[in-house]
Amino acid sequence: MTHLPFIAASYGVTAVAVLVLTVQAVLRLRRARTRLAQLEALRKTSTR
Amino acid sequence: MSASNIFDSGKSGGARRGMTRKTRRLWLVVASVLCLGVATALVLNAFSSNIVFFMAPSQIRAHDPGPDRTVRLGGMVVAGSLHRETEGTTPVNIFEVTDGQAAVTVRFAGILPDLFREGQSVVALGTMRKDGTFRASEVLAKHDETYMPKEVAEALRKSGKWDPRFGKPPSAASWDTMTRDEARAAIDAKTPRNGS
Amino acid sequence: MSALPQSAVSPPQRGGLLHRFANPGRFLRLARWLTPLLGWISAVALVAGIIWGLFFSPADWQQGDTVRIMYIHVPMAILASAGYFALAICGVLTLVWKHPLADLAAVEIGPVGATATALCLATGSLWGKPMWGAWWVWDARLTSMLVLFFLYLGHIALIRAFDDPQRGYRAAAILAIAGSVDLPIIKFSVNWWNTLHQPDSITLTGAPTMSMSMLAPLMVCMIGFSCGFGALVSARLTAAILESRARQMMTRRIAEREEAA
Repeated sequence: MTHLPFIAASYGVTAVAVLVLTVQAVLRLRRARTRLAQLEALRKTSTR
Repeated sequence: MSASNIFDSGKSGGARRGMTRKTRRLWLVVASVLCLGVATALVLNAFSSNIVFFMAPSQIRAHDPGPDRTVRLGGMVVAGSLHRETEGTTPVNIFEVTDGQAAVTVRFAGILPDLFREGQSVVALGTMRKDGTFRASEVLAKHDETYMPKEVAEALRKSGKWDPRFGKPPSAASWDTMTRDEARAAIDAKTPRNGS
Repeated sequence: MSALPQSAVSPPQRGGLLHRFANPGRFLRLARWLTPLLGWISAVALVAGIIWGLFFSPADWQQGDTVRIMYIHVPMAILASAGYFALAICGVLTLVWKHPLADLAAVEIGPVGATATALCLATGSLWGKPMWGAWWVWDARLTSMLVLFFLYLGHIALIRAFDDPQRGYRAAAILAIAGSVDLPIIKFSVNWWNTLHQPDSITLTGAPTMSMSMLAPLMVCMIGFSCGFGALVSARLTAAILESRARQMMTRRIAEREEAA
């Protein structure tokens, strides 16, 4: 009995989970930064 | 109004009163954790016999669960005890399991796990029969916490320090820094060379 | 009116705001360099550790190549417990000091820790089937780890369950602190009761019962996954602070507009 599928599945499922979390964090950070920048720009124009 | 605002807008002498409130909350948390810890420890202690995953052969011998109760038997497979018989047409694996104090003969008609070998720990699920043998419906291999390359295991075996059929390897400090090359050299030194 | 100097010099509303973000502001400056640093250490260590573990470390004398699952399973197990310990610390900070950063950190650590726990359980199952002969057994180690997973899920749900986030923070903090009794149970389950899971190979008291040729890549993977955990939490926490600031700016804008109207 070869155990290769079990090893591959372990590394595979970990890679997928790590990738999903990383992409999610990067996208969320980018979205939050742009949104905040937009709001700051709005505030500057409205206070002037 | 949020909780932090309640805290911030303390009345006269708010800072001092805040400190005592903080300290009181801290002690409350500490006391709760202590109570919870003690309660958990008591519960776990009370149910300790239900939490164990398996019974050792000596425990089974001391309190025979009877043929009606399914239990788990755990222990080390006795070196030289494994053999096969056929009951009618089904092949049956027969081996002894020991905890060093008592041994129980296990009969198992099924495929043994890959890691099964003499000297390995196993956990068998089944019932104790009247004739004193254990009829297993499932056998699991329980490997120990020793991780070593094949070459190191071979070198320890060749040096006579360890026979895996009789249980655990010698103290980890004696082998855990041994590299595979060192192990190979040790094996070569012990192997009689042909033609020289 | 108030003894606190902060609210004495500024209008109460702004003072509250400043207080709320005094620490998060400091965290943002820290995270600016900490997040990428941890992220890159993690990436380098994980690539090195996994290549080392998969292709250059030896196969085990009895488990063969399947032992390589350890390079993921063990870091995930340690991070699962460490993550919940961090939640418990955040819980104390929330309940006792009402630390606003701890509230947000608890929200962000939860899902990352739960993922580590799920991966620990999944890789453990994939390891158990070929070695023990079972995907799952109800022994003390496996069961207490499953309990930890449900504690994480409960925490994630509870902290988001209330309309008033403060109530969610406090409820989840209590769960995190109470749930932390599971951590010593996980750690010592293999010593206190007999289990199918083997005892720890690496202990504080004795030499590791593991060849250095396997321990070294395991440590590299451990560093990689730990830094990755830190980078993820740090990035998520940064995003959470920025999102919260954006929300506050929005509400202030709406309030100002209503005042002008």
